[in-house]
Amino acid sequence: MSGEDLDDRADDFVLGLLEDRAETDAAESLATDPAWAAAVGRARDKLLPLDMTAEEQPLAAHLWTSIRPRLRDAAPVVALPVARSESKRRRFVPAALAACIGLLAGALLGGSWFASEPVVIAVLLAEDGTPTAVVEDYGSTEAHIRFVSDVEVPQNRQMQVWTLPSAEMGPVSLGVLSGADAAALNPPRLPLPNNGQLYEITLEPYGGSTTGRPTGTILAKGLAARQRDG
Amino acid sequence: MNAVGIRDREQPLDLAEALSRCARNDEVALRSILDAEGGKMLGVAQRMLQRRELAEEAVQDCMVQIWRMAHQFRASDGSARGWIFAVLRNRCLNILRDGRRLEHLSPEDLTAMQDARLHATRQPLDALGDRVALKDCLAALEPKSRRAILLAYIGGFTHGEIAAIQSIPLGTAKAWIRRGLNHLRTCLS
Repeated sequence: MSGEDLDDRADDFVLGLLEDRAETDAAESLATDPAWAAAVGRARDKLLPLDMTAEEQPLAAHLWTSIRPRLRDAAPVVALPVARSESKRRRFVPAALAACIGLLAGALLGGSWFASEPVVIAVLLAEDGTPTAVVEDYGSTEAHIRFVSDVEVPQNRQMQVWTLPSAEMGPVSLGVLSGADAAALNPPRLPLPNNGQLYEITLEPYGGSTTGRPTGTILAKGLAARQRDG
Repeated sequence: MNAVGIRDREQPLDLAEALSRCARNDEVALRSILDAEGGKMLGVAQRMLQRRELAEEAVQDCMVQIWRMAHQFRASDGSARGWIFAVLRNRCLNILRDGRRLEHLSPEDLTAMQDARLHATRQPLDALGDRVALKDCLAALEPKSRRAILLAYIGGFTHGEIAAIQSIPLGTAKAWIRRGLNHLRTCLS
């Protein structure tokens, strides 16, 4: 696409004039196409003075009190610095090895384990048994996910990671993923994860499930293996 | 350390830095963005959606989205304020274009809302202030192109709605907007 075409498309995107499919593609490309992201940034800043002409409105106090409880379910998902060019298939070998070594060491040491190691590891499998992702849950509002095989995420959908701490609590969101990259999740404060605890990834509407519970297709799921006690 | 929501009004908030803190799970940073920009954000949402409850919903959703997506902001791709208001505008457009969000409104309320949105796009360019280059560049456009661009940006109207409002074929509306945006880009470069 020529520079001028890129700027034309960026203008249309910023004005909200792209059709649904093109709009979704354009939004998704922001994270992966630096030239496109820069063109959109230019277009936004060009028209931003128009937003500044809106009359400032007094904010009601309830606005923040309504926002704050929603932050927990919308934990920021931070991409870890993993080389994008690295094949996800190649990454599976060390990931799976790490998982196996962790399981073995956990058994041998009887739970005596370094605090920097996860409390549980869960290898999430697709319906056909393909290992898809590995979740490492450190049990203190820290958990990581990494993908070990390619996944297909349809338009207008995002992957959301869940765990089931107990039947009483029901499924709890660990975060919405911006793509199939290694990511640090920010789980809410939960009881220490148990051996056999369920972890799963579902396909949810863009932005995550609106109900706070998984609603979409299960992409992969797996049971946790305990690596250490707390 | 400052208490939540309290900052020195003489010191403008560094929005890029606040976004970076949001990405590190700092709720105080998100609150400071709301304190600094929330009034203007609500103004933009109110102008596009006209109904207070929808405008507040858009700002709330926008703040949650900022929290979730803050790590994606890159200062090399434009200003932090541009990024924040783009998130807000996107949420407003989603509300406008999700039929279910407006279906509870009576036909009279819907008509009043559309009329008010139309009216809001007629604000004079004077509001842009004398030192904003965009003002002169918009003023230099053909009136029909300028109107179409303001309908889209301020009112959130689609190509089809703009064509209907201006009583022109869809292709003509698209051409007017394209021509106007190209002139703006040249004028501002």
